[in-house]
Amino acid sequence: MQELKTNPLRNIVASIIVFVIIPIVLYIGIAFLGDRKFYFISVTIALLACVPFFISLEQKRTQTREILLIAVMSALSVAGRLLFYLVAAFKPVAAITIISGIYLGAEAGFLTGALSALVSNIYFGQGPWTPFQMFMWGIIGFIAGLLAKTGIMEKKTALILYGVFAGILFSFGMDVWGVMSLTGIFTWEAYTAALVTAIPFTITYAVSNVIFLLLLAKPIGEKLERIKKKYGLME
Amino acid sequence: MKSFETYHPIVLFVYFVSVIGITMFFMHPIYVSLSFLAAVLMNSILFGAHFWKRSWVYVLLFLGMAIINPLISHNGEMVLFYVNHNAVTVEAIAYGMAIALMLLAVLLWFKVYNDTMTSDKFIYLFGRIVPVFALVISITLRLVPLFKRQIKQITQAQKTIGMDYAVGNIWHRIKSIVHIFSILLTWALENTIETADAMKARGYGLPKRTTFSLFRFELRDTIVLSLIGILTIGTVVGSFIGNTTFYFYPTFSPIEFNWYNVLFYIIYTMLLLLPVVIELKERWQWRSLQSKI
Repeated sequence: MQELKTNPLRNIVASIIVFVIIPIVLYIGIAFLGDRKFYFISVTIALLACVPFFISLEQKRTQTREILLIAVMSALSVAGRLLFYLVAAFKPVAAITIISGIYLGAEAGFLTGALSALVSNIYFGQGPWTPFQMFMWGIIGFIAGLLAKTGIMEKKTALILYGVFAGILFSFGMDVWGVMSLTGIFTWEAYTAALVTAIPFTITYAVSNVIFLLLLAKPIGEKLERIKKKYGLME
Repeated sequence: MKSFETYHPIVLFVYFVSVIGITMFFMHPIYVSLSFLAAVLMNSILFGAHFWKRSWVYVLLFLGMAIINPLISHNGEMVLFYVNHNAVTVEAIAYGMAIALMLLAVLLWFKVYNDTMTSDKFIYLFGRIVPVFALVISITLRLVPLFKRQIKQITQAQKTIGMDYAVGNIWHRIKSIVHIFSILLTWALENTIETADAMKARGYGLPKRTTFSLFRFELRDTIVLSLIGILTIGTVVGSFIGNTTFYFYPTFSPIEFNWYNVLFYIIYTMLLLLPVVIELKERWQWRSLQSKI
């Protein structure tokens, strides 16, 4: 697995976002937006959280091959989402993002997830949910990449467990948005109610993740390993 | 919106960020209603009868979302009746309706956005600030139809060797699909490397490269952009003064109609109707030019 290189510009921007911009967003939201503050703050923070990853993408500008690998993985998951658009919640997007995270690294995993959300919404329609989907799928790929560095993801049980976890994480994350857009404020009662009503979706997410991971992890993984070895990528 | 569409992408983008942002974050009944009405007007201009035919979906959505809030929230002073010892209040119902109206307005504005800000405009706009990001999006968008075409070709070739995914038992079908996918993937990855090398050979990533685009920033863009800016700032100033503040709980705060309140309502209406006004102006100009000939 690749090493996580320290990236000075990305780290600087990330710390500016965490220590300067997010407090300003919190302040503006609480001071001026009254009961819309939760909505404003959450949408903005979801967007801001993606910024450091896109900065590291910008710095890859000369590594055309790496950029294109990320584009191919995103295109695969977008095509998958289009292919399965009739079956609600049953999508290979998270699974392909996870595979991308495992074999191409945590950063590439995040980018694959976030780009899949952004590009597939060009077909399905953009909306205030886009930043949340970008962040949720991104973080699913990112965590997969971090776990893969420990070598644990090579075990089938770990893969299955992570697929279930990713389904639950996605559902829990998107319900935060759902609660705030439907009731305007975030209350734990409303959140639990949303989680309970979303159980069929959560199960479908988890099941589809596991199925697609088991079907795709080996063929995609082997081919990514091969292409990495053949052309010396991601080193 | 044939004429509004022709404006520079940055004008369009700023307009939508401003309108959708204000719609999303101010829960004042007048502001929400104005935005909703404007969004309905824009949609009916853009999609015409097609929009009205599907309007029952939005009515259902509205009712569905409006019902949720009084079931969850029991705040408010005007109690209508009790369900399981929980008060159902006028305030909670009104808040639910306001939220539902706001969500519908955002949804309808995004429909206008999706129709007006096509992906080429989006990529052009972000290609300046985040070139690699825009490049990846544009490559991904291009790869999707390419994959579809390639899948068709692979499927046909596979049929000739007996790997038809449409016949045989379920196991054979799954095996054939996985096979097709695996071939697609190998092809896609090798193709990727080739594309990347070709890009490099053509000088991608070198400094001082120019890009081609059909968009020109003209005087009319400056005018409309500054109009959008002034009207947005006007609305935000109104918000600082407290014009957008409205409380549903514990009970409704009054909606005022002093001269300055009305002024800010008018400013917001002007912002919302800007594309319609541009459209009407163009049509009027076209007609008056025709009659002179």
